[in-house]
Amino acid sequence: MTLLYFDHAASAPRRDDVAEAMGRWQHGVVGNPSGSHRAAREARRAVEEARDEVAELVGAKPGEVIFTAGGTESCQLAIAGVTHHHRREHERSEIVLSRIEHHAVIDAAETMARDDPNVSVRYVEVDAEGVVELDSLRDQLSEHTAIVSVMAVNNETGVRQPLDGVAAVVKSSRPRAAATHTDAVAAAPWLSLPVVTSSMDLVSICAHKLGGPVNSGALIVRGGVALDPVTPGGGQERGKRGGTVDVAAAVGLAASLRATRRDLTEVVDRVLDYQLRLGAALSFLPGCAITSGAAARVPGTVHVTFEGLASDELLFLLDQAGVCASAAASCSSGAANQSHVLAAMGIAPERARGSLRLSMGAETTSTDVDRLIEILSSVVYRLTSESSRTSDLAD
Amino acid sequence: MKVLVAMSGGVDSSVAAGLLLEAGHDVVGATLKLWGGISDSGCCTVADVDDARRVAQILGVDHHVFNYTEEFERHVVTPFVTAHLAGRSPNPCIECNRHIKFDLLFERAERLGFDAVATGHHARVVAREGSHYLVRGADDQKDQSYVLGYLREEQLAHLLLPIGHLRKVEVRDHAERLGLRTWDKPDSQDVCFIEAAKGREEFLRRRAPLTRTIIVDAQSGEELGEGVGELMTVGQRRGVTPARDGTRRYVSRVDLVAQRVEVGPLESIMVSTLGLDEASLTFARESLESGATVLAQCSAHGSVQLATLRHEGNWWLDLHAPARPVAPGQSVVLYRVDDPTVVEGAAIVSAP
Repeated sequence: MTLLYFDHAASAPRRDDVAEAMGRWQHGVVGNPSGSHRAAREARRAVEEARDEVAELVGAKPGEVIFTAGGTESCQLAIAGVTHHHRREHERSEIVLSRIEHHAVIDAAETMARDDPNVSVRYVEVDAEGVVELDSLRDQLSEHTAIVSVMAVNNETGVRQPLDGVAAVVKSSRPRAAATHTDAVAAAPWLSLPVVTSSMDLVSICAHKLGGPVNSGALIVRGGVALDPVTPGGGQERGKRGGTVDVAAAVGLAASLRATRRDLTEVVDRVLDYQLRLGAALSFLPGCAITSGAAARVPGTVHVTFEGLASDELLFLLDQAGVCASAAASCSSGAANQSHVLAAMGIAPERARGSLRLSMGAETTSTDVDRLIEILSSVVYRLTSESSRTSDLAD
Repeated sequence: MKVLVAMSGGVDSSVAAGLLLEAGHDVVGATLKLWGGISDSGCCTVADVDDARRVAQILGVDHHVFNYTEEFERHVVTPFVTAHLAGRSPNPCIECNRHIKFDLLFERAERLGFDAVATGHHARVVAREGSHYLVRGADDQKDQSYVLGYLREEQLAHLLLPIGHLRKVEVRDHAERLGLRTWDKPDSQDVCFIEAAKGREEFLRRRAPLTRTIIVDAQSGEELGEGVGELMTVGQRRGVTPARDGTRRYVSRVDLVAQRVEVGPLESIMVSTLGLDEASLTFARESLESGATVLAQCSAHGSVQLATLRHEGNWWLDLHAPARPVAPGQSVVLYRVDDPTVVEGAAIVSAP
């Protein structure tokens, strides 16, 4: 069966050029970059070249790049690292998050609050389109705010967030301005990171949404924002992240950012066309509503909800037809959980139950989109006629 | 046949899937995620989903996770709490089987194009003269026909119970033969959404205010102490101190409004009639009517007793010999007198 892969937002297809760049560091002797002999020096050189490149492609100085084992760790380091440091010097620490953050951010913050009664989490509301409300942000800031975290692009809806507005509100708050963090994992395949994240102190990125390896990411810490390491042991990464740096992972992150940057204009133009076509076709299906249709979205994501249908059933039949898609929010069991993002937008649970995220990327073709439209239409028509039949019987 | 197997990750449903596959069916596995909270004995934890997925991988069948957490909350957990607050003692496993595994999963399986649903319950479906009957499993110790008592004919016609003819030890042998790693996993037990260490009391306390009641000997008027009314069940002896002469005492009445629990010796609590909740009454065949004699079983592994159905205003079950009372909310499953392994019907016992 031909695979129709519409789950790029979960993990993008691995790029050949990235695998090639990493290959050198996955066989034979690879020195520990912290060592001093020639093998170590060679490895260290590769890490530092990768760091230079990541810095340039994200818009930072090389010394501001901390390599991590992925997006979740980057977010953990940002939230926990800044809050721990803040808390050592203050009576109270407050973490301010948008309600639609990824669980990597929410769980990092909630765990801090659980373990320390003087740490609390405050949430910023979003509007019906899933855009963070700056007035709500203003209300949540206080003299105790340690860090404010707002994602650059939401991973479920693809909606862009007003980071410059967030930064302006935070920087104008008194008496002291909190650190700002953005989870740019979902933004990285689509937007120029130096432009979009320029107003943020901390930026989390990862490689596998860009066709690079999993367990590879970075936290950008601009302008000397103070943070404690989560894993201090060994003192690597300027004392911010202990543990041997994975040369292949660092090289893979740089290579995937480079390839993404190189193809960005072409991919954005092409996938934007798919997004419009897919959105238009789906909006004709019974009970279908495009999520955040009026908001600025990245081209790769089409999130929809189907009234009266269940995601589990849509995904099952799509899977049978070879379509890989998701309901956006997956828990570790693999079940589609009710989305906290859709709940924050005020989307009724009955409608959220029928949600579907179709996400595309550089490898998606026009034919893929046509075939998806055909398959999804027949799946939806089948389920709507079956469910009306079942409810007729129930009546 | 295209069969959807409900896989819990346990040995029974794993072997059920394996046997169907060997019989040449087109098998897809599904694990139902039922409970969003913390639990340690359940059929729905992440670890169990992982086990079921691994079993499906070993067997080489597709595996999906179906999220029924909202429905489980609505049809099982909330009614469980509400029933306790109303002084009833519900059986959540029965409700889960009825509403989630059979109503919702059957409907879904049909929509998704399956011919049948299979589970790893120890019970059998037998087709006789064009009708389908639920029959006890071959392993007396493990028989689960009681928790399936409410299945209707049209559901039984699309249900496969591939291990119902096996004894548990044979199921484990098959698991070993099929190379399934769950073969030495302990059976799940108790209520799956309640943590064993913390128990029912804490679970209920987190969701509703509970009633402190005094415990009184109904005959002597002696006050034995205090208890939590919602946790006391008619017929229960555990937690009730014996009388001075050593006679065991049992709960005879729970009155949450008066905050009073009455206890007495066994003979004072024996009953000879059970009221049945009409809405819950399910018959396997239409010929079962007032006056019919049946074998009644009042708990998952309880013994059966002869009884006669009576429809007089409400439905009643007249027991041929006095028996320990059955708490309202519990189910009574009826078996055929002339063929005692065959399920005749089921009903929830109403308040006396």
